[in-house]
Amino acid sequence: MIRQQLARFAALHPETRVDLRITPDAADQRHQLYVQWLNARAAEPDVLQLDIIWTAEFAAAGWLEPLEVLPDADDFFEAAVEANRWRGTLYAVPWFVDTGLIYWRTDLFEGPPSTLDQLRRAALDAMGTGRVRDGLVWQGARYEGLVTVFLEHLVAFGGAILDEHGSVIVDRPPAVRALTFMRNSIGVDGIVPAAALTWQEEQTRFAFQNGQAAFMRNWPYAWALLQDAEQSTVSGRVGVAPFPPADGGVASAALGGAQLAINRSTQEPELARALVEYLTAPEQMLERARVAGQLPARRSLYATPALANALSMPLADVVRALEVTVPRPVTPVYSELSELLQVHLHRALSGQEEPAAALNDAAAEIRALLARAGLEEGPTP
Amino acid sequence: MSASVAGRADARLARLLVAPALVIVFGIALVPIAATVWESLHQRDLRLPWLGTPFIGFGNFGEALADPRFGEAVLHTLVFAAFSVPLELTLGLALALVMHHVVRGRGVARVATLLPWAIPTVVAALVWRFIFETGGGGSGVEWLTSPVAAWAPIIIADVWKTTPFVAVLLLAGLQAIDRELYDAARMDGAGPARQLVTITLPLLAPALVVAAAFRALDALRLFDLPYVMTGGGPGTATEPLSLYAFIALMQRLRVGYGSALSISVFVLTLLVALVSVRVLTRVSPGDHA
Repeated sequence: MIRQQLARFAALHPETRVDLRITPDAADQRHQLYVQWLNARAAEPDVLQLDIIWTAEFAAAGWLEPLEVLPDADDFFEAAVEANRWRGTLYAVPWFVDTGLIYWRTDLFEGPPSTLDQLRRAALDAMGTGRVRDGLVWQGARYEGLVTVFLEHLVAFGGAILDEHGSVIVDRPPAVRALTFMRNSIGVDGIVPAAALTWQEEQTRFAFQNGQAAFMRNWPYAWALLQDAEQSTVSGRVGVAPFPPADGGVASAALGGAQLAINRSTQEPELARALVEYLTAPEQMLERARVAGQLPARRSLYATPALANALSMPLADVVRALEVTVPRPVTPVYSELSELLQVHLHRALSGQEEPAAALNDAAAEIRALLARAGLEEGPTP
Repeated sequence: MSASVAGRADARLARLLVAPALVIVFGIALVPIAATVWESLHQRDLRLPWLGTPFIGFGNFGEALADPRFGEAVLHTLVFAAFSVPLELTLGLALALVMHHVVRGRGVARVATLLPWAIPTVVAALVWRFIFETGGGGSGVEWLTSPVAAWAPIIIADVWKTTPFVAVLLLAGLQAIDRELYDAARMDGAGPARQLVTITLPLLAPALVVAAAFRALDALRLFDLPYVMTGGGPGTATEPLSLYAFIALMQRLRVGYGSALSISVFVLTLLVALVSVRVLTRVSPGDHA
């Protein structure tokens, strides 16, 4: 589909040819390749597809062309635009968004849980009836996915990783309560299987589509696969909702997705800009939704029947999640920050550290990281 | 006079002939090592290009010493070697003795023994991971999520994979032992156990030391099994030094610190290599005869 869109763009600009460069699927490898290109000041690719957590890093390194104010910035999801700013300047345009979702079984429950405690009790009840083995499955392996799961619990309890000044607050009481809840889900309540500590998205999807789990935390990609009766035993019996709030917090959904940015060393800044504008225009986003099931980053599209027809997901429920999306910390050292956090989260969940001690250690290491990077002042001036 | 001229010409020719080999050794071994040492003395962080690449002496090594994750990674590496190498030597010796005494189907027995060694480590690791994952092996134990138990699958996979290598090395050693020694011992009334202790083991000592050295050097560079099977987890409970160096270099993109960690892997293996060469010269009968 991207090839067709590029061909149409090239037809509009007869003097150019647009090549598509395929990069590795694995985020780490793609990131590594980008760093090699950009660090060497390679002029190509002119336009880059960025993961939402990379924009600040590449912008701070001076590798991205600053973008003028988007004429229709209001149309994009605010959290996605904020994640693409660095020190007040916009460096990338949201292309499609990804959002954390709680998948629930419509044959087991009347409706989605409205609080985290309701979710916990509903999961226990479902297990009690013997209809499911696990109450809830989430991504607990030591990788980026674990941070998004933690982030949703964190916001549910009213916490955050960094505050608005960029200070580390992941060792505060709400964070300890959130991590304790996650740990108790495995060890005390037993609603989450211990094996989830080695699971990424696909293992949780397998558990849920086999009818083994009452709730699953996952991304929108799982929807179409769960509806495929060939491989899924729960097709037609699934609903989605945002992650429910606990005491002191709000409903949330971790924000992911892809952005388009312009290489600072490009020889063709005007054309690159035109290409970014073209690919992020409503028509192209709608086509992406229809063909690839990816969620547009423009809010106005969600009010149109065209999107409801293009997407197989229950749009109203998805919008409820999109309205409460939270970005991960916007900082040039995000990847390393995340890696430090992952280690301590995983130690706490596997019983090697107490939640409070784990978060204290993680916070101390993240503060040292920000100090080494010269970023203690905070990401926004 | 003419002889010495000829000698000098020979020497020149010899140097010329050796030169390509030296260039290759220099280019392949020494240049990358020197480059890594050079990087390890600088701060270079690809994610933080605004910090530049200042020379910081042994700063990266100082950071490593103060980094608990580094100390734990060293410990993990040593503990892994301490468990896996003796197991591989013992089982490898047993396997070699069996192969040595197999009369019929010798070729088949050897090929069958060598099979695990022929399988790429990553493939074997994926299979072992699958076996131990999610209530693994029908045992109901969550092997990979317990900080201590997670070592068992890694050590088992390593022993399974490399015991054949040890066995073949020792088999070669066994075949070099003069059969007449056993005949003489039998005539003097020595049983199989006595023969093993007084003839086989002493004469096999050089081969055992070589096998132990090879295995220890490999074990200290442990990377692929935990990378595939546990990702170094839970937490960092099964993270060996090479994996931590990889994470520092390839994920954090900290070229300086990652290089310092790589150097420490190099130093650790070099030390063990030197010790084993020492031991080898002591146990080799030929050198002192």
